[in-house]
Amino acid sequence: MPEVEFQGKKFNVDEDGFIDDYTNWSEEWVQFVKQEEGISELNDEHKKVIDVLREYYEKNGIAPMVRVLSKVTGFKLKHIYELFPSGPGKGACKMAGLPKPTGCV
Amino acid sequence: MAFVSSGYNPEKPMENRITDIGPRHFEEFYPPAVKANKGKWLYHEILEPGVLVHVSETGDELYTVRTGGCRLMSVSHIREICEIADKHCGGYVRFTTRNNIEFMVDSKDKVKPLVDDLMSRKQDGGCYKFPVGGTGAGITNIIHTQGWIHCHTPATDASGPVKATMDVLFDDFRDMRLPAHLRVSLACCLNMCGAVHCSDIAILGYHRKPPMLDHEYLDKMCEIPLAIAACPTAAIKPSKIKLDNGTEVKSVAVNEERCMFCGNCYTMCPSMPLADDVGDGIVIMAGGKVSNRITAPKFSKVVVAFIPNEPPRWPKVTDTIKQIVEAYAKGANKYERLGEWAERIGWERFFEACELDFTHHLIDDFRDPAYYTWRQTSNFKF
Repeated sequence: MPEVEFQGKKFNVDEDGFIDDYTNWSEEWVQFVKQEEGISELNDEHKKVIDVLREYYEKNGIAPMVRVLSKVTGFKLKHIYELFPSGPGKGACKMAGLPKPTGCV
Repeated sequence: MAFVSSGYNPEKPMENRITDIGPRHFEEFYPPAVKANKGKWLYHEILEPGVLVHVSETGDELYTVRTGGCRLMSVSHIREICEIADKHCGGYVRFTTRNNIEFMVDSKDKVKPLVDDLMSRKQDGGCYKFPVGGTGAGITNIIHTQGWIHCHTPATDASGPVKATMDVLFDDFRDMRLPAHLRVSLACCLNMCGAVHCSDIAILGYHRKPPMLDHEYLDKMCEIPLAIAACPTAAIKPSKIKLDNGTEVKSVAVNEERCMFCGNCYTMCPSMPLADDVGDGIVIMAGGKVSNRITAPKFSKVVVAFIPNEPPRWPKVTDTIKQIVEAYAKGANKYERLGEWAERIGWERFFEACELDFTHHLIDDFRDPAYYTWRQTSNFKF
């Protein structure tokens, strides 16, 4: 696995830039993905999405369905795309340190 | 080659971004004869295998020459298609829903030069580049999938078996001697992308071994509840595993007695791979159709439980398919699709006619509906 270094921290990532382990997530990882994903400024709404994702994953062992994410955060899908241009899977889940989405994607 | 920018600015990814414009409207690409006669067609005829004529109420005629396509094709091949279209058809060409290529011309005297040109083009290895055919009661192109070219869950290859099968069935692509058309499809795993579940003959990649579990990475790579829910037979349950280094990790356990090797869990969880060189192979199904003509659409049924993968030519697979096609050509009435034929004569006679072995694998045992596939009558033939 390739290793990336960002702000003094090292992360193991796969070829799509997802972190190898949920528990290796840190604030620096968010900053690193922010740069990768071309997000200029992180605001409270980004943080809220990430918090909801991490909380849901810790509790349930899976990432929430898009409709659940929308309902819990109160952000419509369109707004989630405005926050994370790559979308809830490639953008938000990556930033939250969740495993890479699988299935026929 | 060094990096050449298209004008996209990675610093500002959302700037000048064009989105949600959809495909080009198909009318932009209509040949003039199609544009002029849209919705006015009176009748059509198949003049010879691969050549159709459509006649409009205005008297206009449109001649279509259908040629086989390999589906997986290079840009240079597409350029050659364009070159032919430029030379004969005013730059217009279309692809069919079975990935054949259709060249259209507006008068009869343009057909022969076009067909001769197409049939004269060959690959360096000797294959026809553009074999004319695929119409009427014959065998047209094989709908197929990615296989070892690009997918990560296949149990067999796609392009390879398709080439081997079409070579064996090539005469029927160029001819219309069968009772009705016969559709062949291939899917390289039982996700069944494409049309295998509803084709006259279907080639399907199949595993025969349960997944291997990569406990060390499973919880890191996978959302465990998804892997559990992916299993149609509930063979997967969550478990805690002690690794060699002493750490306890969350993982799953597979009940191998319940596993039927569908591979759905691997689709959801990269730490459960199951591909195997000798375990994997091909299942042949038969008797499906999608049209409503005479009888309702049908699913195809499994008729050969397993044939090993034998790259690069899959001889056993192609022999079996040829056997089924010949038995069908000999036995069926005119207009009768393969599934209709098998149901008319009875499946026990189908196995006899095709000289296929009937094994216990072919008896449905999946949940309640399996019962309806058993025979609850004394009507059968010895």
